[in-house]
Amino acid sequence: MHAVRNSSLCTKDCLCLFVCPTGATDTETGQIDASKCLDGCRACVDACPSHAISLAPDDYPPPREKATEVVQALHALAASKAAQERIANAIAETSDNPVERQFARAIAHSSRLSTEDLLREAGYMLPQSVNVRAFLQSLLNGTVADDFPKDAVERLLSTLKPTKSTMREDKNMTTGKTLDNLMEAFAGESQANRKYLAYAEKAEKEGHLNAAKLFRAASDAETTHALKHFEVAGKVAATADNLKDAVAGETHEYKDMYPDFIKVAEEEGNKAAVRSFTYAMKAEEVHAGLYQEALDAMDATDEVFYYRCPVCGNIEKFVPEKCSICGVPGTKFIKY
Amino acid sequence: MKKYECSVCGYVYDEAVGDPDAGIPPGTPWGDLPDDWRCPLCGAVKDDFQAQEENHAAPATEPVAESGPVDDDVRELSVGELSALCSNLSKACAKQYLKEESGLFDRLATYYAGQVQPPEEKDWSAIMALIEQDLGSSFPSVNRVAGDQADRGALRALVWGEKVTRILKSLVNRYKTSGDAMLENTNVYVCEICGFVYVGDAPPAVCPVCKVPNTKITQVQRRA
Repeated sequence: MHAVRNSSLCTKDCLCLFVCPTGATDTETGQIDASKCLDGCRACVDACPSHAISLAPDDYPPPREKATEVVQALHALAASKAAQERIANAIAETSDNPVERQFARAIAHSSRLSTEDLLREAGYMLPQSVNVRAFLQSLLNGTVADDFPKDAVERLLSTLKPTKSTMREDKNMTTGKTLDNLMEAFAGESQANRKYLAYAEKAEKEGHLNAAKLFRAASDAETTHALKHFEVAGKVAATADNLKDAVAGETHEYKDMYPDFIKVAEEEGNKAAVRSFTYAMKAEEVHAGLYQEALDAMDATDEVFYYRCPVCGNIEKFVPEKCSICGVPGTKFIKY
Repeated sequence: MKKYECSVCGYVYDEAVGDPDAGIPPGTPWGDLPDDWRCPLCGAVKDDFQAQEENHAAPATEPVAESGPVDDDVRELSVGELSALCSNLSKACAKQYLKEESGLFDRLATYYAGQVQPPEEKDWSAIMALIEQDLGSSFPSVNRVAGDQADRGALRALVWGEKVTRILKSLVNRYKTSGDAMLENTNVYVCEICGFVYVGDAPPAVCPVCKVPNTKITQVQRRA
């Protein structure tokens, strides 16, 4: 926040010059150089006896969203007021009576002020708001008249700093560095969940049952963290979108990611990795197909059962004699 | 003794008190007030006043026409509205000390003002028809919509807008009746904040509608 001076209130007491620690106020004009002004210092604001200096916010929060009904109703009234201004202006321009012209100009001016006020409350109060940006953008759409001041619109779009989207209506939408951090934390917690599960299985095999219990509890706790981070990051959409996202993710894995990984593992002679990647690749292809089917049949009401191979992760809609990917007997499959 | 309230600014004429500043002694009944008596705050005429009892007995509960179905597309703005939208954004920028941006919005406002075509009807009756439609149906219905949505900003603008429209109705009616005599030996002022129009020798200390000090009330000059 930097200091600004309202020249119509300033009575040239000049205490701002005296108290400013950086010399940001000009000795000649009293104007304040925002680049020298210390963020939130307010020494001049407190010193000014005529209350002519205030701190201007560097960012504005988005205005409250307006109900469509209110916007439309205000627009209708604004249209009537604009029509009154138009008629009054026509009288002011055509009447040969100076008194009538004077009165018509007063009515035209009053009507203009009412139109402005009504439109301002119809969602155009803050120049930095999303609404005003969309309005400016719309002025550039389609064919623009030769004499239209296009440069003014382009300049406004480049200089007006958009409202910070982290407050009010966007409070549920996370952006910026925090979004990156949430996704990094989601990845870390997700890995910790699987890692502790692997450690718990190992601990059970070795007979360290208390350690195994702790690993399982911690594993579940990391799941809680991961799910919350993912939700706050705004990544959980409606099911149709989630199914599409799942198809895309699985498809990327079986088409691009695992083939590359398998190639490298083969070159490096790591047979166990080749096998692990191959099982996963084949299973992901099946998953992608099942997700697509589920998406296509979202409105179907018949209950579907899925059977999972505990060895390779293959999923079938029936119990096979043996797994089509890894060959494990169908009796090992787990029903969902 | 009865009381009468000004529908523009809320001033109350109390018969028991009178209006001594205008030479009306205490105890003067409403009916005995001269026809050219004006609201001492905003200049409204006697017809703009309502008896307070009536006011309380009959609150504005008359049914209001339902607004039409909500259309997702906000209708196209006329060039006049576009001009007002831009001139208001110019003021909004000036309030934030954004001088360059204020000037740019002003250029847009001037451009659109230049696009306005003269209306077919250009007389006071055409203005009065719109004013009466605003006061008779538009303001009550928009007020109801804004009230339903608890939109305080819109309600504030509607309060100012409705009061200003009432004074416009009063003044246009006076002008139609008395013509140039209404303004001949006096001045006309407009409040730059709410659009309140005042006819008188000097502006009120504060605007009777929006209460801004009169440094924001400007005189409309008569040009030969």
